[in-house]
Amino acid sequence: MFQSFRMHLLAGSTCLAALIPASLWAQEAVFVLGSSEVGIPNYNPLTAVNTNAAFTMIYDTLVEQDGDLSFHPHLAESWEEAPDGKSWVFHLKPGVKFHNGDPLTSDTIVQWIEMFRSSENSYMTDNVEKVEAVDETTVRFVMKNPDPNLLYNLSSSFMAIPDPKVVTELGEDYGITEAVGTGPFKLESFTLGQETVLVRNDDYAWASPLAENQGPPHLARLTFREIPEDSTAFLELKSGGVDALLSLPTDYLGEIGAEPSLALAEIPGQEVYYMPINVTKEPFTDIRVRQAAALAINQDEILKNVFSNYGQVAHNFLISALPESKIDPALDISFDPDKANALLDEAGWVKGTDGVREKDGKKLTVALWTQSDSVFRRLTEVVQAELKAVGFDPQIQTFDSSVIRDEYKKGEQQLAVRSYFWNNADIVDWFFGGDRLGYPNISMFNDPKAEELRAKAMSGSATQEERVANFTAYHAYVTSQFPYAPIYQPEQNMAYNKDRIVIPGVIHGNSITGTVVQDISVKE
Amino acid sequence: MLSYLIKRILLLVPVFLAVSAVIFLILHLIPGDPVDNLLKVGSSASKRAEIEARYGLDRPLIVQYGIWLGNVLQGDLGTSIVTRRPVAQLIGQVMPDSLQLGGLALLLSSVAGVLLGVLAAKARDRWPDRLVMGGVLLGSTLPSFWIGLILILVFSVQLGWFPVSGARGWSSLVLPVITIGLGGIALVARVTRVAMIDTAGRDFVLLLHAKGLPPGRILWRHVLRHAMIPVVTILALRIGWILGGAVTVEYVFARPGLGTTLIKALNQHDYPVVQACLLMLAIAVMLGTLLGDIIQALMDPRVREAIT
Repeated sequence: MFQSFRMHLLAGSTCLAALIPASLWAQEAVFVLGSSEVGIPNYNPLTAVNTNAAFTMIYDTLVEQDGDLSFHPHLAESWEEAPDGKSWVFHLKPGVKFHNGDPLTSDTIVQWIEMFRSSENSYMTDNVEKVEAVDETTVRFVMKNPDPNLLYNLSSSFMAIPDPKVVTELGEDYGITEAVGTGPFKLESFTLGQETVLVRNDDYAWASPLAENQGPPHLARLTFREIPEDSTAFLELKSGGVDALLSLPTDYLGEIGAEPSLALAEIPGQEVYYMPINVTKEPFTDIRVRQAAALAINQDEILKNVFSNYGQVAHNFLISALPESKIDPALDISFDPDKANALLDEAGWVKGTDGVREKDGKKLTVALWTQSDSVFRRLTEVVQAELKAVGFDPQIQTFDSSVIRDEYKKGEQQLAVRSYFWNNADIVDWFFGGDRLGYPNISMFNDPKAEELRAKAMSGSATQEERVANFTAYHAYVTSQFPYAPIYQPEQNMAYNKDRIVIPGVIHGNSITGTVVQDISVKE
Repeated sequence: MLSYLIKRILLLVPVFLAVSAVIFLILHLIPGDPVDNLLKVGSSASKRAEIEARYGLDRPLIVQYGIWLGNVLQGDLGTSIVTRRPVAQLIGQVMPDSLQLGGLALLLSSVAGVLLGVLAAKARDRWPDRLVMGGVLLGSTLPSFWIGLILILVFSVQLGWFPVSGARGWSSLVLPVITIGLGGIALVARVTRVAMIDTAGRDFVLLLHAKGLPPGRILWRHVLRHAMIPVVTILALRIGWILGGAVTVEYVFARPGLGTTLIKALNQHDYPVVQACLLMLAIAVMLGTLLGDIIQALMDPRVREAIT
């Protein structure tokens, strides 16, 4: 209730805002990090369990991924994969220097990978046997197993390349007092939980070809602030106190149109909202009941009424930019209330006078779990109404976002509404792998055929084409067993002050990365 | 007096032990596992065991408590699970911000609260009294979270006088100080008013009037001084409250401080940080209470006599 009051409050206020300039100097900008990016303890990619946009400004990666998920050169000018997938050769861009003047050479890459292999994120290089320096600017990755996912991993911000020498020198202080990369910006200061101030790297001449500006960035100074309360962040943007919110909270999507100075930059989304269905809990042990629950979800209505038509509907588990999301259209899950009703009739659940179905004197009452964030609460109420329409009696149970994972681990859930954030098909393995029951496998899905397909997809692919085919088959089979219902895929919405900031028409990146910021400037 | 002081301080020892045990245990009863936040997609079971061992989370609860308490008594608040920094250092960094905000809010509530209370008492049952008491009702019932957002809307978005959020210089302190201070002003004004009215009806005041002292002098020199005893006690008790009350306000205004540190640590299940923040808040309340008792003893001869 407070939420809706707050919304009215904001909607009702007229914009007489005296625009306070975000910064007194030209080419300075202040961005607010999205809520999934706050609370970074340091800027050390070797210990990070979560990264934020500033990582991609301080550091570069060997490979860059575009919004369409294609791979492009960055610190590696080009690369070749051996036909058997057992080795990769990367040709480094010459003349690249770290912020402290150290050159980046093939030896740097060898040292960095060595350090990476004992880091928290070492699983990303599990398939790498060793890395060799062929000459000053050529490195060879010798593989244990072919890994078509290597380029994806190398483009991830977890595989951003720090100066190995400085990391060793500073130890636990690395990434807090100092962080040395080759990126377009240098770390000036970092205040935990508050702000990160970056200044332009004037020597920068090795931008990815995805950026138009190949020299140093236009912005001389870029500050990332963390504002935990959504309404405060939006009011900062509205009053001109900040120039952009990297991720506009869904609640404020409708507000942007009413503000002449504000605009949205849409970046392809990496998030999928879905409803896991616990296949081990009655009545969902019956696949017909699972299918009925999945078919009861009206994706189009949710897109329109809950998300104001921003983003797109989801019909399977993966974001639609991934080739593995293109499964047989007959397997895609779409709203079909007639079929849902027919399936429940067939399964012996008869509609009572109150609209709730019954079987053997038991009502079709099910628990529907959700987390306390406002968007989930609103969405879950709609899902509840839709399930009710075909004869379920869903009881919503709300958990605090910080504890719901531990509740899932107990395996007592029936239905839940949640989302995940990832842009690689291996997320199917993460959420439906038979060895991760409870959490992350909230659906408690453990199926011998799926496990077989999963093993093939995870480690039995020599080429990217094979990997796509294997993951598509795995994804299709999982979907055919209805351990989840797909709901919605949002875009990432960056809201910005268009009187202050110029943003390129097409954003080349899967988020606001250093490469994207290369082409962002302040109006003078 | 000295023996009273020693007695009061000794009494704090069992209170401290009880509070520390509650803080430690409650946190471990909350469902949630800090290790989850340190593991990510693809991490193995051995990685989990390694992290649990590193932070002693694999030991029995009572052992964990013993170790923690022992360390706390030596001034070691442990190491943050998320940031891997000494907790004392993290708290030390944000404490000045919290103290500044809380201190200014306390100052605002005392000065404005006493003035308004005196005004209300002087104009008892007339319109200034009604106005102040109406404001007191609002100030003490409206949630500070909401007041903060309204102040931002009016003074930052509409008028553009102050920054919306952050901690950049004095101008960014104005709105949060008012937000926290309002509740205190209301409380102090109410207590002052009641104490003033009560004192004004005492025999010694009647005597002062009979002696022909000017009413203004009676009010400010004699009545107010006497009426200050409960007000000062309330203010001392409020020291701890102001640090705790700042939690939501710091969050709304995106300010660094004990409050934002506490909320973030709670979300990340960073037990050592949460424990330290709660401990700081509890210690502030305990010291505030002690201070209140001491001031009362110093100001009120009756209490002084009773204890010596």
